[in-house]
Amino acid sequence: MDDMEDTTIFSTLKSFKSLISGPDHSLLETEPAYGRSDLQKLYTKRVELEEAAERVRSHTSLLQLTQEKQQMELSHKRARIELEKEAHSSSRDLQREIDRNRELLLKIRRLEEKEEKANQALNEQMENNKALKRNLEELHKKANEKDRKLTEADQMISELKDETRRLNQKIQIQESKFSTQNLEIQALQEQLDVQRKKYKDVSQRYQNLQSSHSISTESELKMKELERRLALQEQDSVIVRNMKSEMVRLPELEREIKRLREENAFLRETKENNSLLKEETEGLRKKLERVERVMEEKLKAELEKEKLEQELQAWENIGQAAGLNIRKPEDLSREVIQIQQRELNLKQQNYTLNSSIRSVEKARAELLPEIAQMRAKAQEEQKKRENQDSLVRRMQKRVLLLTKERDGMRAILESYDSELATSEYSPQLMFRVKEAEDMLQKVQAHNTEMETQLSKAQEEAGTFKLKVQMVSHIHHHGNFLLKIEELEAERQRLEEQNNILEMRLERHNLQGDYDPVKTKVIHLQMNPTSIAKQQHADEVEQLRLECQLLRDRIRKIEAGGGVTTDDTTLIIPPSQEILDLRKQMESAELKNQRLKEVFQKKIQEFRTACYVLTGYQIDITVENQYRLTSVYAEHMEDSLLFKSTGPVGSGSMQLLETDFSRTLTGLVDLHLFHQKSIPVFLSAVTIELFSRQTVT
Amino acid sequence: MSKTLKGITLKGSAELVAEFFSFGINSILYQRGIYPAETFTRVTQYDMSLHLTTDAKLKSYLTNVISQLKEWLFDCTVQKLVVVITCLETNEVLERWQFDIECEKTAKESSAPREKSIKAIQEEIRSVIRQITATVTFLPLLETACAFDLLIYTDKDLEVPEQWEESGPQLIDQSEEVRLRSFTTSIHKVNSMVAYKRTNSM
Repeated sequence: MDDMEDTTIFSTLKSFKSLISGPDHSLLETEPAYGRSDLQKLYTKRVELEEAAERVRSHTSLLQLTQEKQQMELSHKRARIELEKEAHSSSRDLQREIDRNRELLLKIRRLEEKEEKANQALNEQMENNKALKRNLEELHKKANEKDRKLTEADQMISELKDETRRLNQKIQIQESKFSTQNLEIQALQEQLDVQRKKYKDVSQRYQNLQSSHSISTESELKMKELERRLALQEQDSVIVRNMKSEMVRLPELEREIKRLREENAFLRETKENNSLLKEETEGLRKKLERVERVMEEKLKAELEKEKLEQELQAWENIGQAAGLNIRKPEDLSREVIQIQQRELNLKQQNYTLNSSIRSVEKARAELLPEIAQMRAKAQEEQKKRENQDSLVRRMQKRVLLLTKERDGMRAILESYDSELATSEYSPQLMFRVKEAEDMLQKVQAHNTEMETQLSKAQEEAGTFKLKVQMVSHIHHHGNFLLKIEELEAERQRLEEQNNILEMRLERHNLQGDYDPVKTKVIHLQMNPTSIAKQQHADEVEQLRLECQLLRDRIRKIEAGGGVTTDDTTLIIPPSQEILDLRKQMESAELKNQRLKEVFQKKIQEFRTACYVLTGYQIDITVENQYRLTSVYAEHMEDSLLFKSTGPVGSGSMQLLETDFSRTLTGLVDLHLFHQKSIPVFLSAVTIELFSRQTVT
Repeated sequence: MSKTLKGITLKGSAELVAEFFSFGINSILYQRGIYPAETFTRVTQYDMSLHLTTDAKLKSYLTNVISQLKEWLFDCTVQKLVVVITCLETNEVLERWQFDIECEKTAKESSAPREKSIKAIQEEIRSVIRQITATVTFLPLLETACAFDLLIYTDKDLEVPEQWEESGPQLIDQSEEVRLRSFTTSIHKVNSMVAYKRTNSM
């Protein structure tokens, strides 16, 4: 298509060029011939050519544009196709993605479910775990408890073993004690018998004693009775003797009575004399007292007399001293009267003078305020006068001013009058003048009023000032009082605060507070409290260490399985008694052992001696049964059995049947049944056996 | 002894006060049972029978402190002497015997001796020690093992000697205080008071 277009373009260009070249040739040839008409033709040709060129150009442009459009369309199509492809592919991708999405979501869901299941499984596992752990812990605890119980059981076992050992030992001791005690019992029983015999004797004696005691009590009673009677008799005898003695005294008493009566009468007489004498003495005493009083009075009278004489002389001297005509007391009294009269007169004069003075003073006092009033009035009058003088001056001034005004007004009036020849205005002027005069008068009246008001105001101002001064004084006074009260209240408050603070300070001082700025507290470094605290701490430490050591030891002991050796348990030093007892026990055991050994040796010897000497070996097979084996026995089993019958120690024996004894029936009959002697039988048996041996 | 019959000098007053403290502290230790009663012996002082310890360590400690105290009394730099009684197990302060010392600073070495008879001073000291003995009736019992310490309140600018160190005032938590008698030598005035821990049973 393009080629086609190109070729068309080229062809058109060629035609155009040809066109242009053609007319140019034609134009060039025909130039000089033609003038303007050629040019016009040329011009029209050019124009035509240009139009053609333009047409061509537009055609080409059209062609180009169509080409472009076709290209564009092609490209559009391609693009659309591509886009469609792409859209297809993208839609396919989209679908694939959606499918994948769905698959993934499904997977996610399945995974989530799996996760949940896994979580649940985990939780269950955890719970199982915890349960298992708890079980484990419980098992551990149980194990620990079992261990503990085991250890405790071990301890118990060990303790029990110890106890059994101790008990065995105790049993042995008890058995030995028992045997000794049996022996002791026997001895004690024998003693008991003895004691019982003694008791019987003693009881008999006691009975004898009791009988004798009863007899003795009876005799004692009799004795008491006799003694009582004796005492009574003695008392009677004593009484009798007294009576006798008294009887002897009777005549003497009668004589005494007589004497006493005589004395009595005599005494009564003397008593009467006594009373008379006493009265006399009393009378004399009273006289004495009176006399004494009289004496005293006499003395006093003498003293008074002397005093009076002295006074008299003094009185007589007065007369001489005073220079008066006095010889007798009448003259003195006359003089005294005269003097008294003079005195009276003078007193009267004095009184009158005093009263006159008082009246004069009263008048003066009355006059003083009057004077003050008068002075005040005078002052007021003066002020008034001054005021009036000032008023007068003002009036004079005013008068002068008025006269001047009048003169002026007159002058004006005259001028007005002179001016007004043809007075057209004269009544009006006169009217105006009158008005002016009226105005003037009013003004003057107003003025005077104002001046009077002024003066009054000034006076009032003066009085007010005085009052204000008075009030201000009082006001100041009142202010001062208020201030004083306030200050007093503050002072009391401050005093209370001061007291409280002082009390607080005192309390703090008692408690031991101090001002760190001024004081400091010091003490010795090595003081008893610090030393005691250190000692205390050291003790505590020591005790802790001991505790630890003991705990370690205990643990070791428990670990050892309850083996208690003497080294580890005997921390407490054993007491002295225990040591002594242990020593005694050991010594007793040693003695026992030695005795046993000795006993055995002796027994052995004795048995061998018996065997050798008697020819029989005596064995105790069972309690109370003795088996005898002869030296000359043919067989080892040949033996005779004897049983002891009767009480222990009595020695009666019986032969028991054995095989061997059946072979010896003859000897048995002879020696045991008839002769009833066992030693003879035994010696017969030895002889028999010996003879049997020696023969064979 | 510069305690002349005419009056008291500063040195004499310091010696009197130090002597009082020595006997007073011994009395307190005996009355409160800080040390066993067997370790005390009786001596006669101030016309009365007082207790004095025979424990060698305690004696040396007391002489150490009292001799230092005497110097400070002479310099008028000591303000208070306190006997602090502490419980060993709980480390709590149970009792505080406090003696305030007021010194007449004008009576320095050069001034003339003051007029006060030694008899009067001893009479006052005797009444103070009798009162200390009588306080046993109302003080709470010291049931646990206790130890004591001597604190001295001095001026802030005092040079602390070698073996001494600063300490806290060791006050009692919730205390009751009782003011006792005082005595004066006209140069030194000693006020005494006792503070004890309030017991909940009361």
